[in-house]
Amino acid sequence: MGGRIVSIAANTFRETIRNKILYAILAFALFVIGITYFLADLSVGELTRIIVDVGLASIHIFGVVTAVFIGISLISQEVDRKTVYLILSKPVPRWEFIVGKAMGLSATLALTTLAMAAMLFLVHLGYERSPEPGILIASAGIYLELVLLICLASFFSTFTTPVLSAIFTLSMFLIGHVSKDLIVFGGRSASAAVQWAAKVLFYALPNLENFNWKNEVVYGGVRSPGVLGMAAGYLLCYCAAVLTAACLLFSRKDFK
Amino acid sequence: MSGNGPVIEVSGVSKSYPMGFWRKRVKVLSDLSFVVGQNEIVGFLGPNGAGKTTTIKILNRLAFPDTGTVTIFGEEAGKRPGSRRRIGFMPEQPYFYEYLTGAEFMSLCGHMNGLGRGEIKRRSEEMLTRVGLDGAAGLAIRKYSKGMLQRLGLAQALLHDPELVILDEPMSGLDPMGRMEVRNLIRELKDAGKTVFFSSHIISDVEALCDRVVMIHKGTKVAEGSVDELMGKEGVQYVEVVFSPLPPPGWASAAGLTRESGSVQGDTFVLKARDHEDANHWIGELRRVGSLVTSCIPVKKRLEEIYVEQVAGNAREDGLGG
Repeated sequence: MGGRIVSIAANTFRETIRNKILYAILAFALFVIGITYFLADLSVGELTRIIVDVGLASIHIFGVVTAVFIGISLISQEVDRKTVYLILSKPVPRWEFIVGKAMGLSATLALTTLAMAAMLFLVHLGYERSPEPGILIASAGIYLELVLLICLASFFSTFTTPVLSAIFTLSMFLIGHVSKDLIVFGGRSASAAVQWAAKVLFYALPNLENFNWKNEVVYGGVRSPGVLGMAAGYLLCYCAAVLTAACLLFSRKDFK
Repeated sequence: MSGNGPVIEVSGVSKSYPMGFWRKRVKVLSDLSFVVGQNEIVGFLGPNGAGKTTTIKILNRLAFPDTGTVTIFGEEAGKRPGSRRRIGFMPEQPYFYEYLTGAEFMSLCGHMNGLGRGEIKRRSEEMLTRVGLDGAAGLAIRKYSKGMLQRLGLAQALLHDPELVILDEPMSGLDPMGRMEVRNLIRELKDAGKTVFFSSHIISDVEALCDRVVMIHKGTKVAEGSVDELMGKEGVQYVEVVFSPLPPPGWASAAGLTRESGSVQGDTFVLKARDHEDANHWIGELRRVGSLVTSCIPVKKRLEEIYVEQVAGNAREDGLGG
């Protein structure tokens, strides 16, 4: 079982790292992070804060673009190209295929996020002459968010087209950063039904702010290990739920 | 059918797909039933859109029947993924991960089939050599020709030495030499005790290879049986009798033979008798004028003619019914 999942993950990783578009996105991201070094010189005051702020925002944006771009092709491309026939006709349970693909893409995102984080770390080190480990912690938070987006993209691509998968995943990304507001809005309503619905929606939708540790780095704060552990636990539970739903949908899918 | 229990048993399978904007269900298979016995080569014949590929997808758990059952080696198809170790499958016009080399792809398939590293290496080399791709093992699949892709599809289907091999249009895209190699490979699989079920448009290949044939049209089985049975059912089309030396000039027309039933070909006279009784009658007549029999062949219908008749007959019935 584990061997097959690892093989599917390794093949997915190999597929994505041989994709030229991924390199184009990564090269552009590294370029943008690189120019923050000069951007700091152009700004007035809070020079290193500009580097970290713009740099982490770049890692976040380019990470989301990469996750959505490779995530939506997770299953739909395999189905469209019929490559899935050769895998699923073998003694491979369908859930192993979904989990293996998600793991492979998560490995690719780990590599790209690490490359961008290392670039920002070096730019900051070059400017400030002192290392800032917070950059790596905040980048780890961004990576966890990207893994969750990959799982959501895989869920959507089990039943819809790549374009709709991209739209749904991006919508989830946007909603995920404001989902806490649902509780606030629900609390303002006098109706118990609305309050209840707001709560249900809050728990059903991803809360991506759990992984947003950028402000602490920019403003010099540090997240406690307990909070980091909670975020990792939340990620595990949410991804397990989303992937289970994706596997259930995929398990009875007919390939025309 | 030979052997013990059936290897494949399809019973009353119906399948429909939602089509178009309103997702109206269109029936693709209708109450399809057939069996494939152990160590048989069974051909699956039908025109485009007959439901061959859908049936093969159901056998390979890539699609699920609406009604009916499919058992392979006595187990419900797809219920236990592990049971698929006994099956090798090549889809129609197989698509591959083009960024992989042939050897990398075979390695991936080996892992999917649960083979060990050493076995994967040994079997990959063996199978790539067997299909004539040993020189292209290190080449990216995107550089393969259509025929090479077909061969790679065959190699991956046989990699884990399966007991049952299911091939969807295995001859498609191959040149005459490649077709002959695939035919030989299928015969070798049978000699090695394997069971082969394959669909094909090339009726001559089916006729030459298969122990039995299943014909479908518009999702319904129209004929099933051994090639001999199917051709036997139709009986002898005519008996061709060849005579030499030639009968005297004008004899044929005087005897009432038409140009179709009796003609001169070189220094022989070829007669097409309706049946054996008619042939014996003409043999007697021609002996009287000094012409002797050099050969006598009962000509049966070819599988292709039976196939065309079955499909055309089915289409006529549809027309009458509709």
